Amino acid sequence: MSISRKVKKVLKKFPYDISFVVDEGIVLLEGEVNSHQEWVKIGLNIGDIKGVKGVVNEIRWKGMKEGKTRAERRENIASKNERKRLGKHEVVIIGGGIIGCSIARELSKFKVDVALVEKGPDVSLGQTRANNGMVHPGLAPSKGSLKRRLNVRGNEMYGELCEELDVPFKRVGSLILITSRTLKKYKRYLPLGLNTGFCKYILPWLVKKKADRNRLKGVEILRGDDIKKEVKGVTDDVISAVKIPSTGIVDPYELTIALYENAKKNGVDFYLDTEVVGFAKEDSMIRGVITDKGVLGAHHVVNAAGLYSDEIAELADTKEFTIHPRKGVELLFNKRIQDDVEHCLTELTLPSHPTSKGGGINPTVHGNIIWGPTAKEIESKKDTSVDKKDIDEIMERYSKVLPDFPRSEFIRYFAGVRAPSFTEDFIIRPAKEVQNLLHVAAIQSPGIASAPAIAEYSVEMLDKMGLKLERDESFDGSRRAMDRAAEMSDDELRSRIQEEQRWGNIVCTCEMVSEAEIIEAINRGAESFDAIKRRTRAGMGECQESYCLLRIADIMSKELDIPLKNVKKEWAESEFFDGTVRGEEG
Amino acid sequence: MKDVVVIGGGPSGLAAAPEIGKKGYDVTILERNGELGGLLQQCIHEGFGTLLFDKSLSGPEFADIFINRVHDTGVKVELETYVKSVEKREDGFEMTAVTPKGVEIIKTRSLVYAIGCRERNRFEIKIGGTRPAGVLTAGTVQRLVNLYGVLPGKNPIIVGGGDVGLIVARHLYLEGVESILMVYPEEFFSGLPRNAQQCILDFDIPYRPRTTVKRILGDKKVEAVELVKVDENWDMIQGTEEIYRCDSVILSVGLVPYSEKVEELGAEIDCKTNGPVVDEFFETTVEGVFSVGNLVQIFDYVDDAVQTSFVAAQGVDKYLKGFSSKRDKPVKLKPGKNVGTVTPQVIAHDADDDIKIFFRPGIEKEGARIELTSGKEVLKHQKKRYVRPSTLEEMELPRDILSKKKEVMVDVR
Ligand SMILES: Cc1cc2nc3c(=O)[nH]c(=O)nc-3n(C[C@H](O)[C@H](O)[C@H](O)COP(=O)(O)OP(=O)(O)OC[C@H]3O[C@@H](n4cnc5c(N)ncnc54)[C@H](O)[C@@H]3O)c2cc1C
Ligand SMILES: Cc1cc2nc3c(=O)[nH]c(=O)nc-3n(C[C@H](O)[C@H](O)[C@H](O)COP(=O)(O)OP(=O)(O)OC[C@H]3O[C@@H](n4cnc5c(N)ncnc54)[C@H](O)[C@@H]3O)c2cc1C
Repeated sequence: MSISRKVKKVLKKFPYDISFVVDEGIVLLEGEVNSHQEWVKIGLNIGDIKGVKGVVNEIRWKGMKEGKTRAERRENIASKNERKRLGKHEVVIIGGGIIGCSIARELSKFKVDVALVEKGPDVSLGQTRANNGMVHPGLAPSKGSLKRRLNVRGNEMYGELCEELDVPFKRVGSLILITSRTLKKYKRYLPLGLNTGFCKYILPWLVKKKADRNRLKGVEILRGDDIKKEVKGVTDDVISAVKIPSTGIVDPYELTIALYENAKKNGVDFYLDTEVVGFAKEDSMIRGVITDKGVLGAHHVVNAAGLYSDEIAELADTKEFTIHPRKGVELLFNKRIQDDVEHCLTELTLPSHPTSKGGGINPTVHGNIIWGPTAKEIESKKDTSVDKKDIDEIMERYSKVLPDFPRSEFIRYFAGVRAPSFTEDFIIRPAKEVQNLLHVAAIQSPGIASAPAIAEYSVEMLDKMGLKLERDESFDGSRRAMDRAAEMSDDELRSRIQEEQRWGNIVCTCEMVSEAEIIEAINRGAESFDAIKRRTRAGMGECQESYCLLRIADIMSKELDIPLKNVKKEWAESEFFDGTVRGEEG
Repeated sequence: MKDVVVIGGGPSGLAAAPEIGKKGYDVTILERNGELGGLLQQCIHEGFGTLLFDKSLSGPEFADIFINRVHDTGVKVELETYVKSVEKREDGFEMTAVTPKGVEIIKTRSLVYAIGCRERNRFEIKIGGTRPAGVLTAGTVQRLVNLYGVLPGKNPIIVGGGDVGLIVARHLYLEGVESILMVYPEEFFSGLPRNAQQCILDFDIPYRPRTTVKRILGDKKVEAVELVKVDENWDMIQGTEEIYRCDSVILSVGLVPYSEKVEELGAEIDCKTNGPVVDEFFETTVEGVFSVGNLVQIFDYVDDAVQTSFVAAQGVDKYLKGFSSKRDKPVKLKPGKNVGTVTPQVIAHDADDDIKIFFRPGIEKEGARIELTSGKEVLKHQKKRYVRPSTLEEMELPRDILSKKKEVMVDVR
């Protein structure tokens, strides 16, 4: 059956008048539906059809906010800047998340002139800042998907990469827990005895089979007390478990910052605080990337713009997919309870569903524990808000796995927005209508885990697209992490203080961060409080900045030579304070 | 080897050290900041010392009285000293401290923790919404305004109607903000009526009882909040949401004892007070380690907080002299009906003096009857005209009623 006929068949299931066009596997949808939920559902159903390579979902839903404003704003800025020249490079990468930065560093191994453009004032401000930091083993993605291939390969590459870049990475292993809830949805068909037997013997065996097929090593099935030994305090509802030793954890923004620092050292130009707003094209080639600071000439362009990768494609006149933002809320616990969770834990529930799969209990490399994420389709890509009911949902869900966990001891919550396409796979391919544009788009989970392999694969694609690649012998892949007072021995710290007494001024007492580290972060390019926080961990402890905020703001004001009032949290216009007391105007 | 190290140079540490030093011991105060006085230094309003000195002093004035005592009794002071870790040794304790001069190893026979508390933040009270710049704790705002002459914003909203919130509200109002609003979940301000009158009512500062912030709005900077009405259990009442424009959110929503460090040393923590479990001399469950002031529990008056230091000083003296009056079986004190917290949590000694206990009522009630009970037996009772959760209550506990008792409950009826 042709794709068109399949699309028609799927659309018949919905009570709407929706028109569509299929072109080389790309399906363009138009029409109107009642709700955003319906919009998502139709998109996913079409994306599911075999052979569909992309869904451009231009269906409108009732109450939809006019998306035009963003496009108009960009057009406006573009018209003001399209004649200003900013630079010229062989490759311009759009997006400074883990993907853009990984590709930048990978390319810096070759004699290529590379630039990366990021709209934020720092790297790692998109999805990359707000996730689980889990380096998945490559079990979940479906057969034949790009996701699966790159995840398995990415995981293998992690150890060496993090060693080179001096970034903490731990292979803590994960446990997939099969419990009396795993087959709840099938209760009707499975009498209790059968259910238990199935969960005890058949399901874990099936999971292990799949792991073996994906060539994961050392996978074990655990039952009874063996599970309790691995997971202190695990629920009595657990029937069996599959342990995967290759699962790891990493600090995603620290890794991204490391990639950035190392790429920069090897000659990549970073244009931060610079937003791509359009393209200067000649026929089917991009000649220049138009930004709000001017135009960057380019032979090849990489679209690694995360949530906005569909809009970048549209700006280049090559609509091929739509991103449907999916929010994930995470709950972060106090370090005090660290030794309760050693592995990543997920409870298996069947049937797995794209919008509810995943999520679990993870340790972080710094000794905290994260619960989450939730999965909720949202209308706005910018919506990282968290509500009490999200928190309650997480608490309820994971308390079932660890009933005695001190769940009131969370110290922060945050949310990230995933960037899936409707085909739910990564989209890494040359653009359909533009010869020199490579999409590295729709990189949702396991994007962190796959990042090193995605970079490798993207460079192969660029090679095929005609980029000349010659090894650069002067490449130096090593990078030194920031020194941390909290991790030094007494003798080490003593001698550092002898050289520089600011090592002995502890400004964040929860995480034991010294003034010297704040200054080092500033020297490494941090200009905002959050940029310092990501580099030093100041403010990340139990009191959540209430002790150190003003102390650090004071240091920033002196080091950056700006008034206290101008100290920013992150973005332009995110100053912490405003106004002066009576009599001290100005 | 020192006799006593007092960690923390806030009011309770400043009160404990000279009281112990007076008895001839070698006492040192370690303070992480560059000056003594702790939270008091940023409290330039008056109202301290009314119970202890019978006059109303500013925070720094109150602190000065004790700082003078510290100097007069020859107590040593180490500033800018961050205590990184403490370990128990055979003959006492060994601590590692980081200072701008180096990393010091300090040995001491006994320890008094006086490290106080920190402010509750937005996460602990589950305020939803976004996480933009402009959400600050009241303590940060006090420092900001007093030390730097900078305001948190031109249109702040203050969450919490306790004394700290009241004082910060007046302060900001007088320093010239354009608009201000205070919201709190109680029916009445939880701060002292006197403060409510002088800080809010006298200036006609707008306030809304039974109201809280449900969500914070704004991507980069606070743009507004979503207010919501709450019922008497502080549960949000759906449908009463309202958007209020403001550019900063100032939280004055309670304090939490800094008990992490004492816990690391092995001291048991009371999950009700969030502070360490202490006996009537403020000794924790780790022998030779005492804990005083707001670390034990949050006191409404600094005057009460420093009282714990005076009592602990006697305990430290007893400990160092090595005579133990400890009972074989301590009596446990527990919060019973309608009571939130009780300190001390155990009565461990046989002694002559009466004990002063502090408890926080769990309900608001007029004409309350306070009872100390053991099983069905009422050991002591007392009438109170009015109690409420935001006011810490105290009561004398005569030792003689404790004989043969294992557990005593404090009830409010
Ligand atoms: C809640 C949650 C949990 C997750 N958990 C995991 C996990 O445990 N393991 C895992 O492997 N993956 C996980 N993921 C997925 C992972 O976070 C992402 O796959 C990964 O971060 C994608 O990185 P990226 O670089 O593609 O996107 P991003 O990090 O979003 O980077 C895109 C960048 O492009 C910039 N940009 C956009 N438009 C423009 C423009 N016009 N001009 C200039 N710059 C622009 C943005 O500012 C941004 O910095 C999770 C994701 C979420 C949301
Ligand atoms: C593995 C890991 C470990 C962590 N450990 C700690 C810890 O020990 N202590 C601690 O305090 N915190 C920890 N965090 C959380 C961290 O401090 C931040 O809360 C987290 O990075 C989210 O940032 P935020 O809350 O500051 O962002 P927010 O204040 O939520 O701001 C989000 C901003 O990001 C921008 N954004 C754009 N696109 C996206 C997108 N797709 N996803 C997310 N944001 C987007 C928006 O413009 C928005 O303004 C950890 C996070 C991770 C991933």
